[in-house]
Amino acid sequence: MNQEVIFETQGITKYFGGLAAVDNVDMKIYKGEILGLIGPNGAGKTTFVNTITGMLRPTRGRVIFKGQDITGWPAYRVGRLGIARTFQIVKPFLGMTVRENVAVGAMFGHKGKNRTARQALEKADEVLEFVEMGHLRNHFADQLTLAYLKRLELAKALAMEPELLFLDEVMAGLNSREIEEAMEMIRKINASGVTLLIIEHVMKAIAGVTHRVFVLNFGTELAQGSPEEVLNDPRVIQAYLGEKFVERQRRMQQASPQQ
Amino acid sequence: MKKSGELQNSQQAASKKITRQKVLLGLVGVFVVLLAVLPLFASGFWMRTLTLLFLLAAMAEGWNFIGGYTGYAAFGNVAFFGIGAYGTALSMLRLHFPFFLALLVGAAAAMLFAVLVGLPVLRLKGHYFAIATVALATGVGEVADFWTDFTGGAAGLTLPFFRPIQLSNYFFYYMAFVLVLFGLGLTYFIMKRKLGYSWLAIREDEDAAKMMGINTTWSKVVAFALSALMAGLAGGIYAYWNTFVLAEEVFKIEYTLQMILATVLGGPGTVFGPFIGAFIYYILITLLVFFLPVGQLHATILGLIIILVMVFTPQGVMDFLSGRKRLTLSALLENIRTHKV
Repeated sequence: MNQEVIFETQGITKYFGGLAAVDNVDMKIYKGEILGLIGPNGAGKTTFVNTITGMLRPTRGRVIFKGQDITGWPAYRVGRLGIARTFQIVKPFLGMTVRENVAVGAMFGHKGKNRTARQALEKADEVLEFVEMGHLRNHFADQLTLAYLKRLELAKALAMEPELLFLDEVMAGLNSREIEEAMEMIRKINASGVTLLIIEHVMKAIAGVTHRVFVLNFGTELAQGSPEEVLNDPRVIQAYLGEKFVERQRRMQQASPQQ
Repeated sequence: MKKSGELQNSQQAASKKITRQKVLLGLVGVFVVLLAVLPLFASGFWMRTLTLLFLLAAMAEGWNFIGGYTGYAAFGNVAFFGIGAYGTALSMLRLHFPFFLALLVGAAAAMLFAVLVGLPVLRLKGHYFAIATVALATGVGEVADFWTDFTGGAAGLTLPFFRPIQLSNYFFYYMAFVLVLFGLGLTYFIMKRKLGYSWLAIREDEDAAKMMGINTTWSKVVAFALSALMAGLAGGIYAYWNTFVLAEEVFKIEYTLQMILATVLGGPGTVFGPFIGAFIYYILITLLVFFLPVGQLHATILGLIIILVMVFTPQGVMDFLSGRKRLTLSALLENIRTHKV
């Protein structure tokens, strides 16, 4: 894999009052990879993404994108620079059509400056074909199912033509067929040249599509490495399922060869 | 198979929407032509009534930018009307500017105020924003009332009459009429452009709008300034027409309520909504005040009608005119459900 670092955080820390939601996180994202970000509920994953995309200001630390220090930049400048994200709780523009929703990304995103509103609408059609939602373009966003709303989030972000895309739990609440489709979509986006960071609880997806996994727990780095390594790491299992589960697993492993 | 069916359906719906839009546009066109030639037939009373109505419609079009499209419940837009009125009057009296130049000065003053005030106040959301704008409008009114050296204070400002005086009614009728058309054109122009899309995105979800590259502060301030432009121009025309400017008259909070009501009755976030809503509002008011023997009850009945309209058609009559919803019992009931009444 290409070892060029596209994005990097150095000691990113975010306090809410006296509580460190994200504490001293160093993360590198390599160009072209799919990095998984996992961790138990409340580990600070979403806060981490909010902090590095300008939705929140970091208390300490630096954020570097393609060699440029973007620490504390407002979200709209981060978006225009080539970083897009989706939201865990979908944020569709309900009073607008699917096509208009996506066109907003094409208007104001990475290459939006050179586009008129009309050209952005055409770009939106292109993106909607890519995510296989072309037949829904004239529907209002409030007529979509959750699976399509999640995909609309993706389309809006893709229309910004980002180099780096953060996906915050795009699979939560989907059934297994929809998860398969979403995984396929993520591979397709990555193949088109976009670097991805995906936050996900669906382990099948983490194991299935990511090249590398980064684990947060209590706001700090717990582990990172290949999906197999990380998902079998006792510390990670403990963080997710507790001390007792790890012990039981150890006992079962010790017990089985004797029989 | 299913996909192509859906595609056809949505295409059919789209083309139906387009024909309906054309019909609506045609009707508005006919209506506009009628209003343009009306002074040939109408009495002075009707021309004055319509002039007032146009000024209201123009202010409502302005309110629609910030309240309808951007979704910020501005409750202080009368401040722009008042500043436009005072700016125009003071330029004419102190600087001896001709009316049109003075009008531009008044409108520019209103816009400048909107920008200066908007930068801090537009950071607030929901109720907080609404309350802050009410407070600002009240504050500006007080300043105009008590800064006697500059504004004439409680004695007000008296302007010269428009000459020749027998053309006065026509002049102000067409001034207000052109302002309404300007507002319609401006709305249509903006909503086809990126600025318009940024307003809609902010209204629907400001965080998502930010993350998608929209400089929300800038977009909101522009919306606020353009609503000030419309109200400021209306205020300037009103000042010269009325030949008298008094703080407690031009900073009346009722004007803000009127522009909001006109917009909401007609359809917030639509091009023609505020224009149509201004007519509905005036028809209701006129019927109630002049033709119904209800005495002081008319405000109560108007309030009741407004509540009913809000409950049954929260998106105003444009909901039905544009074909987004059909005027059926079930649609009305659905509106009630979404209101959680």
